[in-house]
Amino acid sequence: MRKLLLILVALTISVSCNNKTAGPAGAKKLTIAVIPKGTTHEFWKSIHAGGNKAATELSAQGTNVEVIWKGPLREDDREQQIQVVEGFTTQGVNGVVLAPLDDRALVRPVEEAKRAGVPTVIIDSGLQTEAIVSFVATDNRKGGSLAADRLGQLLNGKGKVLLLRYAEGSASTTEREEGFLSEMKAKFPNIELASTDQYAGATRDTAKRASENLLNRFGDDVQGIFTPNESSTAGMLLALQDINKAGKVSFVGFDTSQVFIDAMRAGQLHGIVVQNPFNMGYLGVRTMVDHLLGKPVEKKIDTGVMIVTKENLETPEVQSLLHPPLDQYLK
Amino acid sequence: MVAEVKQNRALLTSAALHTWLNRLGPVLGLVLVIVIFSILMKTPERFLSPNNLRIVLSQTVIVAIGAIGMTMIIISGGIDLAVGSTIALTGVITALGIHSGLAPSLALASGILVGGLVGVIDGLVITRLKVVPFIATLGMLGVARGTAKWVAGEQTVNMADTWLNELLVMFPNPPWLLVAPGVWIAIILAIIAAIVLRNTVFGRRVFALGSNEAAARACGIATDRLKVWIYALAGLLFGLAGVMQMSRLRQGDPTVAAGSELDIIAAVVIGGGSLNGGEGSILGSMIGALIMAFLRNGCQQIGWPNYIQEIIIGAIIVVAVALDRWRTSRAVS
Repeated sequence: MRKLLLILVALTISVSCNNKTAGPAGAKKLTIAVIPKGTTHEFWKSIHAGGNKAATELSAQGTNVEVIWKGPLREDDREQQIQVVEGFTTQGVNGVVLAPLDDRALVRPVEEAKRAGVPTVIIDSGLQTEAIVSFVATDNRKGGSLAADRLGQLLNGKGKVLLLRYAEGSASTTEREEGFLSEMKAKFPNIELASTDQYAGATRDTAKRASENLLNRFGDDVQGIFTPNESSTAGMLLALQDINKAGKVSFVGFDTSQVFIDAMRAGQLHGIVVQNPFNMGYLGVRTMVDHLLGKPVEKKIDTGVMIVTKENLETPEVQSLLHPPLDQYLK
Repeated sequence: MVAEVKQNRALLTSAALHTWLNRLGPVLGLVLVIVIFSILMKTPERFLSPNNLRIVLSQTVIVAIGAIGMTMIIISGGIDLAVGSTIALTGVITALGIHSGLAPSLALASGILVGGLVGVIDGLVITRLKVVPFIATLGMLGVARGTAKWVAGEQTVNMADTWLNELLVMFPNPPWLLVAPGVWIAIILAIIAAIVLRNTVFGRRVFALGSNEAAARACGIATDRLKVWIYALAGLLFGLAGVMQMSRLRQGDPTVAAGSELDIIAAVVIGGGSLNGGEGSILGSMIGALIMAFLRNGCQQIGWPNYIQEIIIGAIIVVAVALDRWRTSRAVS
């Protein structure tokens, strides 16, 4: 028993040694905890890198900032994310930057953190409470309207268009869909919205099935398609490729992946609306630091969204958006 | 058999050692975890602050209440793999109850009773259909999870704010409670369960069943009926754990607590429960649950990444089970 415990102690200490190399504490150091929804996806890594960039910049300007990065132990588990917020609250970090897994479940821990003197900036997805400093996220409505502009131009203002929605109850994608529809109706009255009430579902697989059914129903009678997120775009792309229609209809998607870039080069995808997670992490941390330094901050901050097409794909601006400098900021 | 006296002495000393380890092992482990973190931590005063203690206790409640039920099951020689799913199901049921206008107390009762019902079904499948507990509850893991998603309409169930949402808050109201009401509920339930297991006929029968089922049956214990009772009682506790989970999330989430049965089993095992049955204590399991909560909390406050937490918790489970094997072999030899 004693021996085993000794081994355990040795293990614990040896593991901890790596982490004992914290930098020299400045006169006043601000510790900001950044809590993503998960840690393995590229999207969250970009947010992490952006947060680190903000910390590096601010520290160079004389405000010593440390970013602690910590996701829920089990990805996409609300209870685990709540525990992380609670842990940082009692640890007494100066501020929390949180991407809530749920707009209701994370309200209590965020409100309790505020009562304990720890302010929160919300990034990526909304939270139903007033107890936050700011909401730093993509303007999803604008993203949707950008897609409508692109599709309208591709079709020269006429033809039939499909909207394959993502899933019921998903706030961010619903805003993209609404932005798309209202822009389409306002700017391109001659374009007919053939179907706008079908849902892709949560995964690439369900999206592909829904796309197949929809394409089968409309056949050659449709000229343009919009899908509002990564999985629905991937599913639609697969379905189009399967029936050899990829490239024959104008197709605008949302979010980015290597598959989409390849499809765009092959002329099968004519535009993707891309968010800027790197900027989201950067602005999230900067907004929190501004708040802590007593500067006024906006209640809602747009982190930028743009349309990527075959034409602007190789520009430095788009390339830096698609390939944020992760290596530089993530050791 | 060679020298009866010698064997008797050996039995005595090993029995004494056995009890000593059973009682003190987990407590030592908990103290050790807290001391190690306090030494390694840059801000130990925060780690040991009353607020952090409140947080850790609140975070332990769900695993602790589950572990009370699991301790009974494991002492009786059984296992329940469906706890996480049952927590999700009963949380959803309670949330749906409030959502549809039931009084919070009735919604609470319905959540707990559904947990009990799941336990009764487990017990009947095990005793009537002669399916071993591992498989019966593995099946229930899927059935309960699926049912939770079904009744919730494959989405989270939001409901009005009621006093149920106050069960596990960080700052309890009224403040003289010091810790969240749910923590007190868990403590009271643990005391009752410990007394029942130690000092009642029912409790002794649970131990007898787990030590040697055939012998227990030969002594006139209706083992099948006893098993159904054990799973039903444990199910009621899992139902309450589900209500607690709902209270923390302020919503019924059919996908929550996946894998938490493993945390609960680990708590019981770290606390000295033997998967061979016949051994285990409520106090030990409670301490096992606290050890895991302090580990998680401490790892985070030191700033270790998640993978180190997972490795450490995994290693501790193996160490605890190794101790369990070592104790058992000592006791037998």
